[in-house]
Amino acid sequence: MTTRQVAITIIAPVPGASVDALEATLSRIAPDPANGPIPFGKLEGVHFARLVLMPNSDGAGSASPRSLALLLDCDAPQRTRLRQLVGAAGPGLDEVFQHCDGYPSRDARTPESRLAYLRAHVAPTAACYVNTIGRTVAQVRQESLLREEIEQFLDRPEHEWPGKSARQARAAIQQFIRGREDLRWARKPVPAPGLLYRAREAAHFAAGALLLLAFSPFVVIGALPYLFVLRQRERSDSARRLTPSDAHIAELAAVEDLLPQNQFTAVGDLKPGAFRLYTAVAVLWLVNFGARHIFNHANLAGVKTIHAARWVFLDGRRRMVFVSNYDGSLENYMDDFIDKVSWGLNAVFSNGVDYPRTNWLIRDGAKDEQAFKSHIRSRQAPTQVWYTAYGHLTALNIENNARIRAGLSGPMDEAAAVAWLRRL
Amino acid sequence: MAANLELSDIQGLVARGYGRLRAARLLLLVLGEPAPSRGWLASVAAQVTTADVDPRDTAIHLAFAPEGLRNLGLPEAVLAGFSNEFREGMTTPHRQRVLGDFDANAPERWRWGGPTTPAVHAVLMLYGASAAELEALAAVQVQALEAAGLKVLATLDATDIGDVEPFGFRDGISQPLLEGLGKEGPAFNVVQPGEFVLGYKNEYGLLTDRPLVPAATDAGRILPRDAAGSDARDLGRNGTYLVVRQLEQDVAGFWRCLDGITRAPDGTSRPTERTKLAAKMVGRWPGGAPLATSPDRDDPAQAKSNDFRYHAQDADGLGCPIGAHVRRTNPRDSLDPNPGSDGSIALNRRHRILRRGRAYGPYLPAEQALAGADGVERGLHFICLAANIARQFEFIQHTWANNPKFAALYDDVDPIMGARGPGGATFSMPATPVRKRVTGLPSFVTVRGGGYFFLPGIRALRYLSSL
Repeated sequence: MTTRQVAITIIAPVPGASVDALEATLSRIAPDPANGPIPFGKLEGVHFARLVLMPNSDGAGSASPRSLALLLDCDAPQRTRLRQLVGAAGPGLDEVFQHCDGYPSRDARTPESRLAYLRAHVAPTAACYVNTIGRTVAQVRQESLLREEIEQFLDRPEHEWPGKSARQARAAIQQFIRGREDLRWARKPVPAPGLLYRAREAAHFAAGALLLLAFSPFVVIGALPYLFVLRQRERSDSARRLTPSDAHIAELAAVEDLLPQNQFTAVGDLKPGAFRLYTAVAVLWLVNFGARHIFNHANLAGVKTIHAARWVFLDGRRRMVFVSNYDGSLENYMDDFIDKVSWGLNAVFSNGVDYPRTNWLIRDGAKDEQAFKSHIRSRQAPTQVWYTAYGHLTALNIENNARIRAGLSGPMDEAAAVAWLRRL
Repeated sequence: MAANLELSDIQGLVARGYGRLRAARLLLLVLGEPAPSRGWLASVAAQVTTADVDPRDTAIHLAFAPEGLRNLGLPEAVLAGFSNEFREGMTTPHRQRVLGDFDANAPERWRWGGPTTPAVHAVLMLYGASAAELEALAAVQVQALEAAGLKVLATLDATDIGDVEPFGFRDGISQPLLEGLGKEGPAFNVVQPGEFVLGYKNEYGLLTDRPLVPAATDAGRILPRDAAGSDARDLGRNGTYLVVRQLEQDVAGFWRCLDGITRAPDGTSRPTERTKLAAKMVGRWPGGAPLATSPDRDDPAQAKSNDFRYHAQDADGLGCPIGAHVRRTNPRDSLDPNPGSDGSIALNRRHRILRRGRAYGPYLPAEQALAGADGVERGLHFICLAANIARQFEFIQHTWANNPKFAALYDDVDPIMGARGPGGATFSMPATPVRKRVTGLPSFVTVRGGGYFFLPGIRALRYLSSL
């Protein structure tokens, strides 16, 4: 059966007086999140996890209350993941969340009370993106091991590959796999989505399409006034060039590029008013819909390096948080987006204060390369703890591994075999 | 179409690499007292070679590190307008990761530019038609700078080893062509001047950030006005950033390693296979012919060939492996999402550098190298120019050259110069039916020093001397 992925967001308030202690706790966990007090590495089905102490709003004093966010990208179902988290990490959750308002007091901490606290603090996800829906942590890891075994097989000096056809080479690999009991599972492809899954997805798609259809008369009638207001706002909105301080950049860069994967958290105030809020809500709804039904297999409108990303509203929808797990450097990530999907960036992020000036919601904006990069860096917030289940694999690696495994079964003509062998 | 380049205000290194001036020397300087330093700078500014001349005998260029600009008296507020990479320098922990400067390449071990050696304030670049012209020029320059209280921290001498780099491969074939300089070449290789000179439009059609000074501090109106239309004066216009890295090349180790890999089963060397493996790693034959268009042999007719693309002619890398050095430092038309398209080439144009490096140390041919190391250091004084260090130089190093995940690979860094851990590097060569793979390639290049500098325009030099 096909397992979907879920984005779990838990947000707990932190009183101003507890911030320092919480920061100290988080920096103890940071170096080894796989095996720390909250052993993310021992939890089944967790692709990515992070703990972020949300920065203060602009203008808030340093003693203001803050929020702690625990963000998990996991394999469904959410219930099971939370139960497993509480089961494996009770003391660790205590260590972190004891600094948060309302957490059960010391003598009231039980698996049930912890679970109840987490459930009570689950925040809705405005939009989320998963690189490939249906691909579990187990599948990612297994297929990575499979590829390594095949590569080592191919390296064996006794082979005389030149002169053999691609189909012969593939047959040799298949025979190698058949001889390995531990790779039995690779002989069959990943099961295709079953009827129930496909029916659910079709229903969700139909519901969304119907919703769009139902809204369309309002969209048509409202388009001109909307665009009028939009153009007025775009001309008058503040678009100050934000320059991140050297210290801010250094703090963020200190934990970047330690692995082929990187993480990114950005927090920004929404431009005030219902106009921008509803624009953001609508755009994010479309993003979420597109991510689930269109961009659900290794390609987000040309960008193939994102593993998982989400948007969450904070502080009664006054602020927006964007979180991403991606491949390569931030410089490359931003270049990719500017070059390929600037319209998407603009539609979402131009609703934030001081975003570089856009025109007609999707034009310009991010295309001001350095202004955009400065803006993003300024909005970027330190992520205190970050865990990845497969930090040495890029999204392209993972997709390639899946295609290698898929190509082990079924018939293939010579041309298809040649193409398949290129993956190795 | 392109803005007119103010060639008389741009240092000539942007326009040419001085192929005719075979001798070169870089003097790494530390400034003394600010007032005499400024006096010295005023006199050098008048001698710096500009882009509108093609010198026959000598050339001089001067670039500054942030400490040098501070020494001259440039206020912090103006320094803040220089790029973050320049101000932070090449040796921060994050930049070490970006550039692959760890273990043997770590800045702590550098001979210059690292945290254990005195800070370099400036680099004076001297060129001469031959050793005689260079020595005469150097003598005059050193006397003048020492008289003004400056000191030479280190001298980087270049050695004329012909058109090749120390491993024996023809070098310098591929350079981007700046629109506006009038050089001929394939259209896909022509790049907006703003990629290499501040104050002009870059490949995004925008002006790269550059240091501006308030008009009030330029009462003498030395500096040009800000081309973006503000009241400020443009200290960066006609200037650019300069990257220098001293790269020692283990020529003996390189050839002996490749010889070992390509030996016949009975242990005899196979020079043809050895050369072919080296060519696969570089992406061109030693004579210069690109593997993408001449996969089987070194074709002398293609020695300087640069009008080729990868996706169009060698999409699968059967000729030039995907991870080969020249292919990954300049992917041409092979970048995602639409390899082969104009869009792909446009993406590539945003990550070019102008190379101006010079080899150093005596040349060691492969055959002699196999006899054993001679204990003499040789390598490349890598020098390049870019208006945006992060998007151009650092991007190539991090996202392409040192990236084991380049182009959907898993474990392949640049086989020639990519930074690798103790286990060595893997290099895959696409082949039919199944790829060939070499593993455990040791490091052939070691970083011995480096720094980011600013190469000012002539008016900027005069402004700095008048602070």
